[in-house]
Amino acid sequence: MEILVNSATCYKNNNIIFKNANIILDNSEICIVMGPNGCGKTTFIKCLCKIENLDSGHILIDNINIQDRKSNYLDNIIYIGHKNSLNDDLTVTENLEYLGAFDQTVNKNSVNKIKDAMEYFDIYKYKDFMVSELSEGNKKKTSLARLILSQKKIWLLDEPLSFLDEIAVKNLINLFSKHQKIGGIIVASSHYDFSDDVDNFKFFKMEN
Amino acid sequence: MNISKIANLKFFYTKTRKISSFLSAFTLILFCIGIYWGLFIAPTDYLQGNSYRIMYVHVPAAWLSMQTYMIMAATGFIALVWKIKIMEIASIQCAPIGAFFTIIALVTGMVWGKPTWGTYWVWDARLTSELILLFLYIGIMVLYSAYSDKRQAIKITSLLAIIGLINIPIIHYSVEWWNTLHQGPTVTKFEKPSAHITMLLPLLYMFFVFNMYFLSILIKRMRFGIYMREKNNKWMEELKND
Amino acid sequence: MIKNLIKKELILYFRNLNNVFLPLIFFFLIISIFPLVLGPDKLLFDNIIPGVIWITAILTTLLSSNNFFRDDYNNGVIEMYLTSSTGVELILFLRIIACWLFTCLPIILFMPLVSLLFDISFEDSFVILITLLMGTPILISIGIFGSALTLGLARNNILTPIIVIPFYIPVLIFSASAIDSVSLGLPYDMQLFILMALLFLILPIMPYLLKYTLELSINN
Repeated sequence: MEILVNSATCYKNNNIIFKNANIILDNSEICIVMGPNGCGKTTFIKCLCKIENLDSGHILIDNINIQDRKSNYLDNIIYIGHKNSLNDDLTVTENLEYLGAFDQTVNKNSVNKIKDAMEYFDIYKYKDFMVSELSEGNKKKTSLARLILSQKKIWLLDEPLSFLDEIAVKNLINLFSKHQKIGGIIVASSHYDFSDDVDNFKFFKMEN
Repeated sequence: MNISKIANLKFFYTKTRKISSFLSAFTLILFCIGIYWGLFIAPTDYLQGNSYRIMYVHVPAAWLSMQTYMIMAATGFIALVWKIKIMEIASIQCAPIGAFFTIIALVTGMVWGKPTWGTYWVWDARLTSELILLFLYIGIMVLYSAYSDKRQAIKITSLLAIIGLINIPIIHYSVEWWNTLHQGPTVTKFEKPSAHITMLLPLLYMFFVFNMYFLSILIKRMRFGIYMREKNNKWMEELKND
Repeated sequence: MIKNLIKKELILYFRNLNNVFLPLIFFFLIISIFPLVLGPDKLLFDNIIPGVIWITAILTTLLSSNNFFRDDYNNGVIEMYLTSSTGVELILFLRIIACWLFTCLPIILFMPLVSLLFDISFEDSFVILITLLMGTPILISIGIFGSALTLGLARNNILTPIIVIPFYIPVLIFSASAIDSVSLGLPYDMQLFILMALLFLILPIMPYLLKYTLELSINN
């Protein structure tokens, strides 16, 4: 797996979000996207999974442009945005089961795996709670629990550390290292520098 | 790739500056000739008298209102599929022009309706589908103005225009069908103007004039659209300073 | 897999039974306003009741499809649709069907009651029922398309109806004319066939169109 971002530029309402961004990410690398609020971290990550489009430049995943119709980049990508992508009217368990509808790498009848994922992030006690009843931190944990269920190689995470308590942050970073060991690539935006806790990282600094 | 696209806009913007004003003046002259031809030279209709002469504005306007929609949808399609900026601008700038033609067609249709039908408005198939066309145009313009990101707005309105184009024949057919069902005895369908060559020629000429008018307005509006989009860009600032 | 998806849709609607009852109540409320405004003249209502029913049906479908994707947009579920590696068209299709099942079907099921209230003959009310059965899925899916078009906007209260209603016209015309024909004793099968054609044209295309529209309106 390899992600290559080549002189990427993105505008919004005639304002430059980022210009001439270049980065190469290889197997087992983690890219920490840093910068102040409103500098376009979210937009950059959304561009990587084509929720938003670049105005110029290109993004190649395994040497295939993601704009290409033939590209099956989505087969390798899991995106967890700032919004949690959880359905408020479903319980935590149902939400995690629902993931199977969007991700073919999730084992369909994986009751135990879902339980493990919930236990990893310490939300098993909320398994029958409606998502609307959870605190922000627990919502975040629920959406991050998908990372355990999915087998996809590339993780695109927008502010994964926000709302998390210390233990959960530690758990998440452990999860990152595990994913790196099997050769996965992680792109995570953060305003908090966690590079001390991970190996093989790259910074992608953004400015206003 | 992007550079060529920006250059394309710049090329259009700089090259059309002179053409645009020349075209407007030319159209005005053509229009005056056409009006004179239609109002004074063309013979009086034996059935409708002089009132039929409004046809020389009404019919071309109605044609153009449809044609503009087709152009809007076609350019919108090109813009969506091949992502050509100039086509995006052309597509959205067609909407107000088309709405204008539709209003002209409706108003002249009403004025023509008074001597022909005895009332200003009859729910006749053609007038009704023209009214629906106006609503389609209004929908597109409202949707465009609602989005703050105009590039996104253009994509959305192009899609709506394309879907609308598929829908227009269905609407037209169904309205016609509805009209034949509800054709009351009081409404006399006015006869089609006899296709005498002395009457038809000015009509075709006016159609041509309206097309020229459409073209000149479209170019003017596209220049305006390019200016609004690129006003913060370097080449536009340079042009302004020149 | 499909069974799970259907189950999820059912759960969602059963947890919010308000979404099922409110359109129904709204429908009856509007229907009963007409006699209050126009007077309880039986002859008048014999003529206009199909129109009244259809206008009310339009208002109901507009209301229930207006903010169809709004919650999913705010929760980020739409983003998950767009980054899904499986086809979401099936999900979108099921969601259209579910929306119809829970907002329009109750109204259709209560048509006999409306027929009683306005003393519509059996044959007439049967045709009204058939046209509603074939027309409302079209209205709902067009309405959902409209709501997808305006999804990128912060507010879209009245914009979606303005965009969508012109697209409703063919369905309305053919439905109304079928009902007219049956009350005049004329054949009405052609209108029904056209409605059916429209239905089978629009339903299969709609999920793909919706996905494309969502891509465009999220991408800002």
